[in-house]
Amino acid sequence: MYDVSLPTQHVKSQLVYWIFQLTGWGVYSLSRFIGGVTVIHLPWVHFGLQLLMVDALGFGLSHLLRDFLRRHQWRALPIRKLILRIVAAAVACGIPLGVLTQFTDLSSLQDANEVLEGVSSALRIHLALPVAIALEIANWSLVFLIWLTIYFTAIAVREHRSAQFKQSELTRALQLAELRLLKSQLNPHFLFNALNTVRSLIADNPASAQGAVTHLANTLRYTLSSRQDELVTLSQELSIVADYLKLESMRFEDRLRTEIQVSTDAAGVRIPVMLLQTLVENAIKHGIAELPSGGLLRISAAVRDELLVLEVENPRPPAPIFAAGEGVGLRNAQDRLKLLFGTRASLELDLSKPAVATARLHVPQQR
Amino acid sequence: MKAMIIDDEPPARRELRRLLADFPWVETVGEAGNIEQAAGLVESLRPDLLFLDIQMPGGSGFDLLTRLERVPAVIFTTAHDEHAVRAFEVDALDYLLKPIDPARLAEALTRIKSAHAERTRRTEDVLEQLFVRDGARCWFVPLREVRLLSSEGNYIRLSWGSAKPLLGRALAALERRLDPNRFFRDNRQQIINLDFVEHVELGVNGRLRAQLRDGPEVEISRRQARLFKLKMSI
Repeated sequence: MYDVSLPTQHVKSQLVYWIFQLTGWGVYSLSRFIGGVTVIHLPWVHFGLQLLMVDALGFGLSHLLRDFLRRHQWRALPIRKLILRIVAAAVACGIPLGVLTQFTDLSSLQDANEVLEGVSSALRIHLALPVAIALEIANWSLVFLIWLTIYFTAIAVREHRSAQFKQSELTRALQLAELRLLKSQLNPHFLFNALNTVRSLIADNPASAQGAVTHLANTLRYTLSSRQDELVTLSQELSIVADYLKLESMRFEDRLRTEIQVSTDAAGVRIPVMLLQTLVENAIKHGIAELPSGGLLRISAAVRDELLVLEVENPRPPAPIFAAGEGVGLRNAQDRLKLLFGTRASLELDLSKPAVATARLHVPQQR
Repeated sequence: MKAMIIDDEPPARRELRRLLADFPWVETVGEAGNIEQAAGLVESLRPDLLFLDIQMPGGSGFDLLTRLERVPAVIFTTAHDEHAVRAFEVDALDYLLKPIDPARLAEALTRIKSAHAERTRRTEDVLEQLFVRDGARCWFVPLREVRLLSSEGNYIRLSWGSAKPLLGRALAALERRLDPNRFFRDNRQQIINLDFVEHVELGVNGRLRAQLRDGPEVEISRRQARLFKLKMSI
């Protein structure tokens, strides 16, 4: 089958085929007709009808040939095999048409005598017919050879173009995916609120505003330079979380209180970059920010049985309202864990306690 | 003009207060950090203008508006939720992106000022607009464009253009606040906007039938028909 993915593309390639097919055969027939009438002075009606009949057969045969080529996927063949088969196909099509042509007036377009010049006249009588037929077959084979060459050249050109198109589509999709990732990491809500806090602090407390700009710069640099598959130690990640929390405390003031307990052996365990940061962002977004009087955000980490157990706990509103699209951060984090650690790592959100949400991460101490 | 700032982040409130200091005709009468607190303050302070954040603890800025008996002019302030404001059916709504650009604030206030002057000239204490939320859609509905208010249990169905949003209030409570020159109680279930009455026919038993433009034909009860004739001097 013809595997053209888009219907419009299919229609377009059909149209191109028919234009080529009709013009090709039309020009070929017309040139032979003019040649026959003007050079050899054949009776034009009689000759014209025979020419029309034979060339129509050629036209039909080439169309059947196209069907055959498509059904047997010739365009997928390696070039060497393809060339051999093209020659064979050209001869195979040339034989019936060559034989047929010999029995029409068209045969006078070829002159066997030219080939047989110098051969004795006795032999010439015997050879005249076979040579004439061979000439007709050769002539028709050449026509089909040209037809096949044009056909496969057109296919090659089209495939090259569509490969280029697919390549550029792929590049664009990749860029889009990267951009989306960057956007999701940047968290515009946080970014613009932080900038607003900074603007306010410039008047309220310039020293604190300077500190805020530094924290913001650190957070952004870390976010922008981290890669999806990167691992960092918990203490590295905690230093950026501390910057982030300082910014958020400036925003929420006394509504956000934090407590961090990390054992020394836990601090050295390597975890996916931005993972704790995501958990803390979620804890603030769905917990602290939703509560009028805020609450305590607690981060704790310890190693148990060669497994890092990291918990982020926050108070939550009694009826959490999850809008569409939320939980993407959590799912993304779970996917990354699976890719990096397989089944040895896990991340769950525990909502079993009434007004508390606990995100619990398990990561092997050694990768 | 009395303004109130509703935002859960103290630095954001301070920043806006500071920005508003450049507009002496705007007086910041109060501020609130959540919608619970805001709802009470709006009713007692009766501000002319709200600066309203969208994401807040205990409910969004939209939740606050649906709870208000009387909705003043609103300018939404948001760091990143402008799409939520743009989703409104009415484009007359204003929003400012945080950090707030002082020039944009000045523009928004100028627009509000002229609308406010218009309103105070008409001094009567009648309801001008309703904030309605139906599912995910929100509207500021100008009451003069509403042709019919019909009671549906404890709700009111508004016939407004091609929309029929539902309002979470009782018809009797709302009736007192409506402009009596424009709205008329035609029967126990309905209040019609007289500007939309196209023609009136005599019905059975002394009742009247009024055809509303773009809307249904309504029946004016016998008791109200007398009042209607008086009012329309027919």
